[in-house]
Amino acid sequence: MATETESVLPRLTNRADFETFRSRAEERWQGMWDGAGTVVSVGLDSSSIPKGADRVLAVCRAALSSSDAIVREVSGNGALWMEPWVEIMRPGEPPVVYANIAPEEVPVLLAGGLRERAVGVRAESAFGGIPPLSAHPFFRHQQRIVLQNMGIIDPWSVEDAVARGAYSAYLKVLFDLSQEETIAEVAAANVRGRGGAGFPAGIKWESGRKARVLPKFVVCNSHEGEPNVYKDRKIHESDPHRILEGILIACIAVGAERGYNYIGGEYPLAIKRFRKAVADAERLGLIGRNVLGSGKDVFFRVRTGGGAYICGEGSAMMYSIMGVRGQPRTKPPRSVEEGIWKRPTVANNTETLANIPDIITKGGAWYASIGTEKSKGTKLMTVQGPMATTGLVEVPMGITLGTLINECWGGMRPGHTFKGIQTGGVSAGPLKEEHFDLPVDFDSLTDVGGMLGSGGFAVFDTDVCAVDFARYLTAFNRYESCSKCVPCRLGNPALVEILDRIRLGRGSLADLALMERTSKHIIDLSLCGLGQVAPMPLLGMMQMYPEEFRAHIVDGVCPAGSCPIGVPQTVAAAAD
Amino acid sequence: MTQAATPGSMPATTGDEIDLDVVRAMLAHIQPGDHQEAQELILAALQEVNEHFGYVSLAAAEVVAEHLGTTASRVYGLLTFYADFRTRPRGKHFMLLCHGMSCYALGSQRLVQELKDTWGVADGETTADGELTVQVVNGCLGVCDRAPFVKLDADYHGDLTTESFNEVLRRTIDAGGSWKDADHGH
Repeated sequence: MATETESVLPRLTNRADFETFRSRAEERWQGMWDGAGTVVSVGLDSSSIPKGADRVLAVCRAALSSSDAIVREVSGNGALWMEPWVEIMRPGEPPVVYANIAPEEVPVLLAGGLRERAVGVRAESAFGGIPPLSAHPFFRHQQRIVLQNMGIIDPWSVEDAVARGAYSAYLKVLFDLSQEETIAEVAAANVRGRGGAGFPAGIKWESGRKARVLPKFVVCNSHEGEPNVYKDRKIHESDPHRILEGILIACIAVGAERGYNYIGGEYPLAIKRFRKAVADAERLGLIGRNVLGSGKDVFFRVRTGGGAYICGEGSAMMYSIMGVRGQPRTKPPRSVEEGIWKRPTVANNTETLANIPDIITKGGAWYASIGTEKSKGTKLMTVQGPMATTGLVEVPMGITLGTLINECWGGMRPGHTFKGIQTGGVSAGPLKEEHFDLPVDFDSLTDVGGMLGSGGFAVFDTDVCAVDFARYLTAFNRYESCSKCVPCRLGNPALVEILDRIRLGRGSLADLALMERTSKHIIDLSLCGLGQVAPMPLLGMMQMYPEEFRAHIVDGVCPAGSCPIGVPQTVAAAAD
Repeated sequence: MTQAATPGSMPATTGDEIDLDVVRAMLAHIQPGDHQEAQELILAALQEVNEHFGYVSLAAAEVVAEHLGTTASRVYGLLTFYADFRTRPRGKHFMLLCHGMSCYALGSQRLVQELKDTWGVADGETTADGELTVQVVNGCLGVCDRAPFVKLDADYHGDLTTESFNEVLRRTIDAGGSWKDADHGH
């Protein structure tokens, strides 16, 4: 469909222009799905392309080039386990999704074969014995707001996005609502920061609106540097206009002249698709001077990171945008007082901003009706490790850990036995089976040493040693320390050294106390939120698996059998 | 924080294989409106050079500094801070070895060890014969259902064991070609 070269977009100069554009887009969208023709969609994104989805699409295009069938590129749908997938809608039939299709299987599939690969119908009810996709355990518990277009629209196409409602909330904010009214909806929704900190966006926006220094800026923090999260990348790859609309709404609400999106440089496809969205919005006149005749100006810049975890920290991110090393600074002043170029800057996580359009359209009260008392709305969650149905899900806050693991993610793959689940990325500790009844929200996991964080979970099996995993997590923080604060710069390497000693069977019981003391120094004396939590995974592992640490030290064995106890040190020095 | 590079290890300008005229041509489209915007574009400019040539040489960094009205030392400061940049040329083949938590939980550590033991190369290094440069990704490549996972030149390989890993490496090196054949799009 719409590709990079194809788009000839009109310049919209007022609200009526936009409405005309939207009705044309809707007409075209409905025409495609009216059931008269064949529509073949292939999900392409950073996880499916490595599995050959781009070749599957190319074979589909070639095979159907002389027919009337529409062959479309969409994004993946979050279900990593079914990639590459192909969705086929034949005349008079609903769209059916087929999983794990290899390029060489496409001719058979298009000829009506491979029925056994059908995982579901993208419709309300079953068709020909194939259940609705929404009945699959992976999808059953999901409520998709941020991901509502994922795997459905062509992420390169602004027409697709607009046909599905993009920018209608932006228009409402431009023409119908005052700044105060917009912020009141966000405050009523009580949407808390999805990057991990959980700070209410409404309060942040209100401080931004009240700031007197001009110009002001809004930054979307799309730097997902953790070794276990891929949610923001997927939003960019599937529905870039939703993020852009959220940022533009924030700009209008706080009176910012310019919006930024800071994207991790290691996400080339996310960057490409987002840049295309910005270019299309600029061509349409949704960004620039006097947007749609509203009298409001808003500009936009995309900035990319260079692969430093620390740049997910607010002040470090802003330094990175300004072209210096991303090292956090002392606060106050908070960034909402002095951010980019010393101007008031409101920074929100991608997922937070991607929730905004629906909050404006459907109201803050609607949003606040989803989730738990203190954690409203849905949350994107990703899993890693040997799970049966690995992927990205969007579930209401408060779903239990057990439901996530055993239903959404299908439990353990055959041959793997559950041992624990690392929560909060590299900023908290692991949880065990006894915690499966806990609701997953901003607060509940924290009481037992876990953390929701940005929603990245890593399940590990009995082959993984707690000491070795603690070393891996601590080594990550050692590598990513920006080295500004001495306790973090020297403390994390010291912890890794001690852990290596224990892994080699040369530890002593005194090392356990020494690690706790060193951790306390790092936690108490580091400046930024990342340094202050760097030892948390280690402390969590020590608390959850004390017997394993003792086994290495006292008995000289690694119960999981993965540590190089008794092996010469040269061979043992592991990955840095 | 990211590379072992120290100022002394920056490559000398002589014998530099980066054609500076190409760098200048690449930067021509970067036209900042003011000095603030120029500073915001340093990282982007370095990324373009790094992606095209596989590294940013001292001389290329100076061209970037000159184009954006800043100092070479500021540019080096960025090159040595951000993990995506290399200051030395890549070998013929380039491997990104994912070391995210999925890959860790399913054995990427063993692959890192295998690189040291069998191939004599560690993170950020190039083999003595110049065939292979390895970058261990202290993040996530996002293909978590196929862990452990690597990207080698243009190709992706998942569900790796030590045996299949060595096999893939051997096959790629024997086949010739180089990382330059890779599509930078994904």
